[in-house]
This record gives sequence, structure tokens and C-alpha cells, in this order.
Amino acid sequence: MVWDNTFWAFLALVGVIVPLSQLGGRVKPIRALGTLLLLAGIVAGISVAGVCFWQGTPVTLRLPSVAAFPLSLTIDRLGAFFLLLICSVSLPVGIFSMSYVAHHYEAGKARWMWALLSLFILSMSVVVTASTGFAFLAGWELMTLVSAGLILVEGDSEDRIHNVSIYLLMMHAGAAAVVAAFFLYWPYAHGLEFASIRSASANLPAGPRTVLFLLAFVGFGTKAGIIPFHLWLPRAHPIAPSPISALMSGVMLKTAVYGFVRFGFDFLRGGPWWSGYLVLAAGAVSGLLGVLYAIGEHDLKRLLAYHSVENIGIIYLGLGSSLLFLANGAPQWAALALIAALLHTLNHAYFKSLLFLGAGAISHSTHTLDLEEHGGLLRRMPVTGMAFLVGCCSIVGLPLFNGFVSEWLTFRSFLHGSALSATAARIVLPLMIGVLALIGGLAAACFVKVYGVAFLGRPRSVEAERAGEVPPTMRIGMVLLALNCILLGVFPLLVLSSLARLVQVLVPGSTAPEEIGSISRVIPWVAVTLLGTLAVMLAARRTRRSAATWACGLPALTSRMQYTSTAFSKPIRSVFAFVYKPDRRVELLPADQPYFPASISYRSVRTTSFEKLLYRPAVDAIVAVAYQVRRLQTGNIQVYLLYIFLTLVSLLVYLRFLR
Amino acid sequence: MTLALGVFQVLFLIVGAPLTRGIIARIKARLQRRRGASIWRPYADLGKLFRKEDLAPPASSPVFRLAPRLLFAVALAAAAFVPVLQPSALLASLGDFVLMVYLLALGRFFLALGAMDGGSAFGGMGASRDALISTLAEAPFLLGLTAVSISARNPSIAGIVGWALRQNFFDISAVHILAFTALSMVVLAESGRMPVDNPATHLELTMIHEAMTLEYSGPSLALLEWASAVKLNVMLALLISLFGPWGMATNLAPAALGIALGAYLVKMLLLMVVLAVIESSVAKLRMYLVPDFLGVATALSVLAVIFTMIARR
Repeated sequence: MVWDNTFWAFLALVGVIVPLSQLGGRVKPIRALGTLLLLAGIVAGISVAGVCFWQGTPVTLRLPSVAAFPLSLTIDRLGAFFLLLICSVSLPVGIFSMSYVAHHYEAGKARWMWALLSLFILSMSVVVTASTGFAFLAGWELMTLVSAGLILVEGDSEDRIHNVSIYLLMMHAGAAAVVAAFFLYWPYAHGLEFASIRSASANLPAGPRTVLFLLAFVGFGTKAGIIPFHLWLPRAHPIAPSPISALMSGVMLKTAVYGFVRFGFDFLRGGPWWSGYLVLAAGAVSGLLGVLYAIGEHDLKRLLAYHSVENIGIIYLGLGSSLLFLANGAPQWAALALIAALLHTLNHAYFKSLLFLGAGAISHSTHTLDLEEHGGLLRRMPVTGMAFLVGCCSIVGLPLFNGFVSEWLTFRSFLHGSALSATAARIVLPLMIGVLALIGGLAAACFVKVYGVAFLGRPRSVEAERAGEVPPTMRIGMVLLALNCILLGVFPLLVLSSLARLVQVLVPGSTAPEEIGSISRVIPWVAVTLLGTLAVMLAARRTRRSAATWACGLPALTSRMQYTSTAFSKPIRSVFAFVYKPDRRVELLPADQPYFPASISYRSVRTTSFEKLLYRPAVDAIVAVAYQVRRLQTGNIQVYLLYIFLTLVSLLVYLRFLR
Repeated sequence: MTLALGVFQVLFLIVGAPLTRGIIARIKARLQRRRGASIWRPYADLGKLFRKEDLAPPASSPVFRLAPRLLFAVALAAAAFVPVLQPSALLASLGDFVLMVYLLALGRFFLALGAMDGGSAFGGMGASRDALISTLAEAPFLLGLTAVSISARNPSIAGIVGWALRQNFFDISAVHILAFTALSMVVLAESGRMPVDNPATHLELTMIHEAMTLEYSGPSLALLEWASAVKLNVMLALLISLFGPWGMATNLAPAALGIALGAYLVKMLLLMVVLAVIESSVAKLRMYLVPDFLGVATALSVLAVIFTMIARR
């Protein structure tokens, strides 16, 4: 009962009181109080989600609703896991925003930021706790609209509106698939309640099953940003304010993973036999291309956005392997792969929002997101720098940080594939180890570049030289997330044990995999070994001196002599040139004097093959159809009267003869 | 006793690492008809460096000092995964090969960061080149180990070695030949040996690992050099234990341990001769041919994984 009330308090605070206090609050203290109430609401959300997740007792709320559209929220263990994810990322992001919003927006915009931020958190929480299709879709739509609003608070330049419309368009195309999926259930479940959908799924014919699976794959895949549905992601995430980018990349994408797990595992209990291969392929392509596109970027937020595509790819690799195990009758290993995917979902939420907050802190101090203008920031912003380093190590999947644990579990699930009886699965799954290893290697290269260019070495611009540490609340936000990354990296059992119990419900016939125990036992030992050795060596005091490097005879080294971000990634870009296919133009002016040019201009444009080969033809086709349809619109009133008449006649014919 | 032996194995790999380097250098010298330095020379070098002062460029941050120390700690942890005298090691049954590979990646990540922190052109150059090589080496490394682990049906290194010990040497399958070739190529690339990187030159056009350590001096440089020697030693010992563990002690009797030590030293010497012959007879690959080299390793390791399925029948 107490938890019911806590959940009510969370919803009321985040959904009503905070937005009202921000938008309606006439005086500053009321708005400041609203900000604190938001944090209080999130803490309430964390506590109720934590209790439901660790104890496994669901909390149900019935909201007033019209009979045909039942609205009710239930926090079951899966929902609790995702609610915990949402709230535990929102809290540091909220704390970070306290000074970020105050510094970057004047009062009018700041109100909208806070109100929309609060509604954004509410919408995502509704999505993961909804227990009826209607509540789910309402939250889903609100989430899209509010996030678009948050992007537009920052400004409304033409470019921004263009990117936001692409975002809205693709989101609604995806939402259409999700709506279709729910309504496809209607004839079988006679309603939209999850409980009836779940029971109807057991004896669903094969045809609708396949269609449902594909709808869920496309619908949620669009939101998750898997390739080829990723087009909106590197456009929408970088232009949002940094705390919002953190929430969009860290949390909003995860609601799509939630939806896919809810449909694919909770409702459908696995897809057709080929579903595992489909999801694995989507994961592998997203992972590899995502990280390759990321390496080519030097705008920090676009780079991080592409890494979201990569990490969603890793999550889908786990989900795909789980579906493949399910289809081959190996629930035990399906459970392992699903645990890996869900844990990576949580881990990615922490480290990606940390990195986006770090990007916000960098742009706060240097006023630019271009890596080539950074450099030497660790000495100038030590707390931000250390937190960002933790984020880099986590996203690369280095041991002692949280990303490693989930990637390790994914590796181990692939390894189990060798024991399956189906030949194809037995070859494909172990080979996925190579794919995941390549993704990991590329991610490591990319983050050596990011951290090395932005935080280490000499400052590359006057802004970077003058940069200073960010205000305390921003630091607290980042440090909280960094601590989460380390905590889950060294003591993964904190989450894994409950996660295993959750997955036992989703995958019937499974028990807690032994891998959970083995990783939890070995990591602390590795930590002790590494930190012990390190401590001994750092304790040995030696004479140290700072001395300038010999500059090959020049007076001194300058920052221009350092490797740039572009130079760093050049070897990898050359080797993988077939992915980038850059369009390069070198122009010499005047053209008739190639050896004594007055000016040389160089232009290199990269449009991904997806835009050229997939989206451009699709858009052209839609526009062509629209032109044809426009012929109907003559603007002549007689013609419209004719349409009405024809419609009436055809309806009458239908009712009389065809029904 | 097992614990003591485990600790001994780690110390053996770490303390013996400079000697491995010294012996390889000596064999190379002999192959080139030079007399060569003493095989104990690397110890003298380390001792000299440890006595010097530690210089850091003015622009550098704490990461610059952390990197060599972390690299050494990682090398030490990785040594705890490799069986030498008996088919077990401190972490070899608790951890698996994925953890070991990722520990090495942790060291490499910080080595590259330390190189970037120097603020000169060479560090970035080395880090960028190393990023390419280690990125491409990751997949064949893990796939090669995957192939042997599937054959042994055990993910832990101790389990694989224990399984290999029970096999007859003459029953060795195509999987092992493919995986061994792939992993040997990876070892050459990962430990910065010819034909991928030349450890004996400081030419800016070609150097990779040396470019990353260029800004370091004194104890930091000593730790870097020692750590990379340990890494080479650990990789060679890993090859021996995975593909030729015969002779290892299955009990803790002194005689068995003595035989194991002798067998290990003979196998190690053999590998060192092979390495020295390769380094003396092969030219360094052009930078952009290294992906082809590692591509071959990847293809071999993929074949090894696919063959595990056939070998089972």
C-alpha cells in the first residue's frame, strides 16, 4: 500500500505538480521549489522501482478511464527494471540540469525546459509501466512529442526544424507499426489489457505471430535506432540540449528495447525460427556501422549519437542470440543472452548519459563541441575529465567497468551456441564473437581518439586554454553516474541476481545461469590484483620533473603539431573506406595554372549509403504519389460535390448489395 | 601448494620476461653473424632506467603517469591467467579467455591515452597506428581462442589446457593448426614484432609501439618496457599452454614439476628461435598491408571456428 502511494506521489509530482509549478509559478522561489520537487519525485520513483525490482511484488494503479480505453499502470519486474533505469538516470541528469539550465537559458525558456523535462520523464515512465495498450500508446506518443518540444526549446532555426520533422516523421512511422501490432491483437485478445494479450498469445496462429513479430521489430527498431531505421538518431540527438541528449540516448532508446522485450519475449515467447537471425543481423550491422560512422565524426555529440546506434546493436546481438536459443529449444542459454542484453541496456543508460553530460560540460566550458578545438581539458576540468574517462572505459567495455560485464555475458552466450544441434546456429553464434570483438576494438579506437584529443595533450584553441571546471551540481550529476558505472562494473551481482529472476519469468524453463556467479566472483579478484599493483607502484615516490619535449630543433612544440581527431582516425577510415565512400572534391583556382594555384579548396562530404540508396528513393516515390493524388484536388466546388455524391452512392451500393 | 605454485608461475613469467627479450635479441644477433649483447642486458637496462628520474612533458596530465603503471598491472594480471608448469593458474579457472583478452585491451587503451597525453606528434601517430592494428587483431584473437575453447568444451584457459593435456599429440585436428596459425599471427601483431612493427627502430615513418613510448623516461619507461616484455612472454606462454601443453605436471611431485619446467624451457626456446628467424628474414610490412596480414589471421580463425563443427562429427 505504501508503495502504491509512493508511485502515486511520483506520478503526481512528475506529471502534474512540477510542470504546473514551472509554467504557472510567478515567482522564482516557486519554480526553484518545483525543481526540487522534481528531484524528490524521481527519488520516489527510484524507491518504488527498486522495491518492485528487488522484491518482485508488482504494484498496480487503476486510473480513471473510459471503458473502451482502459488506463492502468502496473510495475511488474520487467517494468520495474526499466523504471529503475529511467529514474536512476533522470536523477543525476536532473541535478546536472540545475545549473546547466540556469546558465544556458533565460527564465522563459528555462520554465519550458523544466516542465517538458518533467513530462518527458513521466511519459517514459508511463510507457514502461503501462499494463494496457492504450496507456502504452499514450505514453509512447507523449514521449515523442515532448522530446521534439525539448529540442525546439533550444532554438527554431530552419535546419533544426528540418531535423525535428525527420525525427517526428520517422517516430510516427514506427509508432504506426506499434499501433498496428496492438490492434492486430484485438480480435484474439478482445481488448488491449496486457494480461489478455499475454493469454491470447499462447494460441495465436502462425500467420499473425509472424506479422506481429515483424511489426514489433520495425516499430520498436525505429525508436531504438537500429540500422537502417537510424536516420533520425544522429540528427535529433546532437541538437537537443545536452541533458536532454543524455536522456534521449541513455533512456528513451531503452523504452524501445523494453517494447521489443515485452512483445517478443513476454507476449510472443520468441519469434519464428528465423527471428533470431534477423535480430542478430540487425544488431551486427548496427553495431559495426554505428561505430564506424562514429569514428569518422569529430563533433562530440554526433559521435556519441552514432555510438548509441552501436550499443543498441550490441543489445540487439544479445536479444537475437536469445531468440535463436529459444527457437532451438535451449531456454537456459536464451536466459543468459537475455540477461546480457538487459544488463547492457542498463549499463548503456549509465555510461551514455554520463558521456552526453560530459559533452554538455565541455561545451559549457569551451563553447564548442568540435573535438579539434578541445585538448588538455583534463588539467583544466579534473572532475569532469575523470568522470568522462570512466564513461569512456565503460563504453569500450574494459574490465572493472560496467560495459565489460554485459559484453562478457553476451560473449559467453555466443560461445554456448556451439553446443546447439542446428548447424547454422552452431556456426553463426560463435562467429558473432568475432563481430562483437571487432565492434569492441573499433569502439576502443574511437574513445582513445575522443579522450586523447579532447582531454589530453595541449589545448588546441584559446577557448580550451581558458576552460575551467563546471559548477558543482553539474559535477555531482556526472560523478553519480560514474560511480554507478564502477559499482556495476565491480559488483555486478547487485543487479544480476534480480535480473536473473526477472528473466526466469520471461523465459520459462530456465534457471539462473552459472555465468552470473562466475563473473561476480572473478571481477573483484581482478580489481584487487590491478589496484593492488597500481597502489604499490604509485606509492613508490620517485624524483619527478617536468621537462619540455625536444622539438626537433624548433623553439617549442605547438598544439598544431599534435595529431588531430581527423588524423587519428585516418588509418581506420582508409581501411574501411568502402563503408564511408566519401565524396571528395579538390578545386584549384585558377584552373589553368595547376602548379601555381591562387587558392585550393577541398571539400569532403559523407552521406551514408542508406540516405542515397534507401531513403532518397522512398521519399521520391512518396512525393511522386503525392503529386498524383494532388490531381484530385482541383479547387473546383462542382468536382468536390461530385466526390461527395460518388461516395454516397458507393456507400449505398455497399450497404445494399455487398454486405 | 597449488597457490604457491600459482604465485610462482606469475613471478616466473614476470621476472623471466626481460630474459626472453634478451635471448631473442641474442639469437637474432647470431643469425646476423654479430656477437650480440649479453642475454642479461635487458635487466641492466631496466635497472638503469629505474635509477633515473621520471620526466614528464609540461602539458601532460596524471594519465601520463598512470598509463605505464596500469599497463604493468594489467600485464601482471594477464600473467595470472596462463598455466606454465601445471594445467592451472591463479585466475585461469575462475576467469576465461575473454576476460584475459579484455584485460590486455585495458592496458592498450591506457597506453594509447598516455601516448596522446605527451602533446607531441609522435604519441598521436603511434596511438593512431596502434589503434588500427589492435582493432583488427581483436577479432582473430578472440575467434582463435573461441575455436580451441569449443574443441575443449570449456571456456576457461585452465579447462582448455587440461583438455589438451588429455589428448594425444598425433590426434591434433585442423582446428588446432588453423587456430595456432591465426593466434601466432596475432601474437606477432599484438606484441609489436616483425613483420607488423619493428621493435629495434625509431624511424618516424614506421614506428608504432616505440612512438607511443617516445615521451617516457626513467622508471615510467622501465615499466613500459618491462610490461611489453611480460606481454610477449605471456602470449608465448599462452601459445605453448594451449597448443603444446604436453609435459606439464599433473601432480605436485618435484620430479613432475622439474620435467614440466624443462619441457617449458625447451618449448619456449624453440618459439624464440622461430621468432628470431622470422624477424631476421622478413621485412616489415607497409602500414596498409598490415590489415591484409590480420585479415588472413581473421580468415584462418573463422575457418577454425567453422571446422570445430566438422571436427566434432
